[in-house]
Amino acid sequence: MPQDMDALMHYAKSFTGLTKEKEALLMAVGPQIIPELNAVTQKFYMHLSTIEQTKPFIEGRLETLQQTHEKWLAGLFSRHYDEEFTRFMHHVGDVHVKVKLPVEFMSGGMTLINNEITPLIFRLFSEDQAKCIAVLAAVNSATGFALLVMQQSYQEGSLAEELDRFLKISGMSKVLFSNLAEAYSE
Amino acid sequence: MRADMLTSVLTDLNGTSADIEASGIISTDGLMIASVLPQGMDEDRVGAMSAAMLSLGDRTAQELERGTLEQVLIKGENGYVLMSYAGDEAVLTVIAKPNAKLGLIFLDVKRAAENIKKLL
Repeated sequence: MPQDMDALMHYAKSFTGLTKEKEALLMAVGPQIIPELNAVTQKFYMHLSTIEQTKPFIEGRLETLQQTHEKWLAGLFSRHYDEEFTRFMHHVGDVHVKVKLPVEFMSGGMTLINNEITPLIFRLFSEDQAKCIAVLAAVNSATGFALLVMQQSYQEGSLAEELDRFLKISGMSKVLFSNLAEAYSE
Repeated sequence: MRADMLTSVLTDLNGTSADIEASGIISTDGLMIASVLPQGMDEDRVGAMSAAMLSLGDRTAQELERGTLEQVLIKGENGYVLMSYAGDEAVLTVIAKPNAKLGLIFLDVKRAAENIKKLL
């Protein structure tokens, strides 16, 4: 069933506390943060290269992955958190399913990003404590938003893959499965 | 017209033995084509479940090298459910009482399945 991106966007925003004020703040601090994101990406992949389980997913693709990652990070501080961005993050989750990335890589990765961005924010905004706290909270909501949307997509993608396998094993057609589900719908 | 003829085959089948409580002809996609079911039995569920079971039976027979599937038989405390192909595109499901004489029912079901195959 196709996901309702507008509903998912509102759900993710309400869950992560990503308010209009936080979105505006992320945009406002973007010009100061974006130039620093290359270093965040470098440290992110350096860390991943030290983990046995993540190594196989980055070997031979490091440069491309870094470029994509940095661009995505910059988007957190320059894009509107709208339906289009939600669809984009949903697609990112789909891609992760297709390359069979273990599900914990997403939350682990997002934690790493927060770990790297936090000291950056302290460094940039330490003179204004209130702003520093607000930016930290906004970044936390933004990465949480991205993670929630990706996980939603990941869950759907994984279920779809498992259903395909089940249908293949059982010999049931999709139409039969759909009729079976319909017969037992509440 | 064809539906009436199919229902007539089922009515005859149910009449061959007092042990047969219900029967239905279902497409392999799980949709009921014709049925003679007791009141309260959900024909959508009977249809979809029968087709699903036959499909699983088909795969099981292949997987365990039992050749072409002839029938799937389920025995429960309250009786039997027997599913057989009626041609390539339909399933004949029969619900029978717990003490039913299966040998006779198998014969009647086989005959009915052949008649249904000709009609479809």
